Amino acid sequence: MVLQGQNVMRTVGKELVSLNVEIVSISLLISSVAIVFSNWRRVPVSSHQAIVASLVGSGLAYGMSVDYGTLMKIVESWLISPLGAFFLSIVIYRLMEVTLSKLPPLKAEVILRYLLLMSGSVIAYNTGANELATALGPVVYFGLLTPLQAAIIGTALLWTGAYLLSGRVVEAIGKGITSLDPYSGFAAQFGAGLSVLLFTTLGMPVSTTYCIIGSITGVGMLKSTKTAKSPFLKNILLSWIITPVIALTLAFSVSILLLSF
Amino acid sequence: MFKGIKKILVGGEKEGEILELFKEHIEKLSEASETLRIAIESDDASLNYEICELERTGDIIRREIALRLYEGAFLPGIRGSFYRLAELIDECLDMVEDTSVYFSLIPGINPEIRDLCVRVAEINCKMVDYLYEAFSSLETDADLSDKTIRIRAKEQEVDGLKHQINKKMAKVPVNSFWEGINLTNFVNSLVGISDRIEDAADMIQILNVSLR
Repeated sequence: MVLQGQNVMRTVGKELVSLNVEIVSISLLISSVAIVFSNWRRVPVSSHQAIVASLVGSGLAYGMSVDYGTLMKIVESWLISPLGAFFLSIVIYRLMEVTLSKLPPLKAEVILRYLLLMSGSVIAYNTGANELATALGPVVYFGLLTPLQAAIIGTALLWTGAYLLSGRVVEAIGKGITSLDPYSGFAAQFGAGLSVLLFTTLGMPVSTTYCIIGSITGVGMLKSTKTAKSPFLKNILLSWIITPVIALTLAFSVSILLLSF
Repeated sequence: MFKGIKKILVGGEKEGEILELFKEHIEKLSEASETLRIAIESDDASLNYEICELERTGDIIRREIALRLYEGAFLPGIRGSFYRLAELIDECLDMVEDTSVYFSLIPGINPEIRDLCVRVAEINCKMVDYLYEAFSSLETDADLSDKTIRIRAKEQEVDGLKHQINKKMAKVPVNSFWEGINLTNFVNSLVGISDRIEDAADMIQILNVSLR
């Protein structure tokens, strides 16, 4: 977040919509409730979609100017990033087949441990640079916290959330789409990590969740289209459409309701 | 310093210890199979005690492997396969012990089937040697199929000998019902060892393919 989160924070906190204290409070409150509820229901939901859509919904209700150009870019990146992760994971898997597969299994296992550690680190870095930056961008640009304060508080809360609530979604992602071995697990994780890193550099708030889903699907389909569990993917796709619609509608309605008092 | 960082990040010590324990486990199986072969060849049932001792040592090694795996050696995705391999090697040792016990309960092997039984015991020893090579190859070779195919071929050879023993068994005179039962159990157990070794080799192949 400190190194690369500025671009994403600017896009969400400054360029997308003009903010006031009500918009920031309503949109973040609605997003957090939606995310906690979805995690509890084991549905991987994108925090970016919830935050961006509720900011736009609340901004519209308060008559603030919404930059539709930025909004379109964000929506485009939501579409392209999972596809990018899908293809990247396939390329990585193919590369591993012609390199790592030629090594003795236990030597490959040692290298895989390094690689998994590296891909996990990339994802963790992205979580700070993109996920946390999206969530805290409005708070920072509204002047409630400095970037450093936001980074410290955000990290502490991120750790708490991962400790308390992540298990259910980890289970859904890890087993729900296709069964993952260390080999395909790395290809999927690193493919998603690279895709998010690319969009983070471009300042686009993209979802690590959907990128991982895109890359797991890519690896699953590479093995066989039958290994990717389509009912689960349909649910995720549905949530991909429903999440921003509900977040936007809810934020708009709550803002209108508050304005009428 | 680099070693210290590597140890914190990736480890490797526990993995090395486990690989050594597996090799020791297969060596105990090799010793037990060899002792059984000598016992059958020299009609010396007193070697049963030695085989039982080797089986007990094998049990200790299996538990040690389980403990080290539980402590976090290897990637979680393959720990189950490693433990199953330890169990299968232990099952081989159990079967060698059972065979030795049945052997001690029969008054010698009839000359009609004696040579065939010795031949099966020799093949079992050879298969254990191949199993050791296949396991060691996990660290050195990318393709293990030739090693596991050799084990499969030997197992088929035992199947052929089993058929011959069964045909000749009908002509072997027995003094009592229990002597007949013990002889049948001995033969079934002796020819079953190769199946267990083949199962262990298959698990090594599973380990191999799960990392590619």
